Amino acid sequence: MPKSILTVDDSASIRQMVSFTLKGAGYEVVEAVDGEDGLQKAKTKAFNLILSDQNMPRLDGLGLIKSLRAMPQYKMVPILMLTTESSDAMKAQGRAAGATGWLVKPFDPQKLLEVVKKVIG
Amino acid sequence: MVEHAFEEHLAPNQYYDRQFDIEAAKILPGEYYVTRRDMLIVTVLGSCVSACIRDRVSGIGGMNHFMLPESGTENGDPLSSSARYGTYAMEMLINQLIKLGAKRPNLEAKVFGGGNVMRHFTVHNIGERNADFALEYLKTEKIRVVAQDLVGIYPRKVYFFPKTGKVLIKRLRNIHNNTIFEREKEYSSRLQVTPIAGDVELF
Repeated sequence: MPKSILTVDDSASIRQMVSFTLKGAGYEVVEAVDGEDGLQKAKTKAFNLILSDQNMPRLDGLGLIKSLRAMPQYKMVPILMLTTESSDAMKAQGRAAGATGWLVKPFDPQKLLEVVKKVIG
Repeated sequence: MVEHAFEEHLAPNQYYDRQFDIEAAKILPGEYYVTRRDMLIVTVLGSCVSACIRDRVSGIGGMNHFMLPESGTENGDPLSSSARYGTYAMEMLINQLIKLGAKRPNLEAKVFGGGNVMRHFTVHNIGERNADFALEYLKTEKIRVVAQDLVGIYPRKVYFFPKTGKVLIKRLRNIHNNTIFEREKEYSSRLQVTPIAGDVELF
């Protein structure tokens, strides 16, 4: 069974690019348009990985991580951030909230796949 | 934190514009500026493109100034470095607007530039590529384009008043020096030697 990834980003362009990259490598991908939508979708299915943007309407990436980490089924699931935020301060907040890793945009398809393979195989 | 040549920067040049009697920010290739105050944002475009985006309710607005990295082989590839850099340049502007309190559904855009003004680029339609990209991106993001002045043969000076959304365009028929071409050329070569890829860190 293919591993499933939830990609959360308010930009349709980014969702298209990320889905295209991950589906091309054989993963199953579900898209969410902001943190709130991501949280609802995460409850409907046991995803193997969550990939989230930081700046989004309604619920941002850090908020999403905190909510997910409070749910028993997402305590151990890898959560990667994919964001334009590149400051050490933001990365530290992500790490404290429970993020597994931090990818800065512009994203590189090759690098993204390497990291995804490393964390979920 | 590592500095990359592709990184977009908040425009550092601010001054008082006596002609319009208002505080102003001038942006150069690879820069953007966002404000919630009543001010003026100015740029000069050759083959580069600028999106002026604002929240039509709150008046929070901003402008970027970018071009796609030159490449002859990636046309149509949704993951090309051109597409990824352009997406990044647009997202930097939009994220900053949202951070200042703009609401995505309220955003509207005016798009300028993409002139066919550079002789030393090997991709001859570089201005048109930039213009097409900006329009296509805004369509994908469902951000309404309410005005545009694109392609053609003249460089343009753009004056954007985010509070009201007003834009004044001056087509530059007589260029007295090469500054704008040199800036765009320098920006273009900077993009060409840089891999379009942000840092990755596993905690």
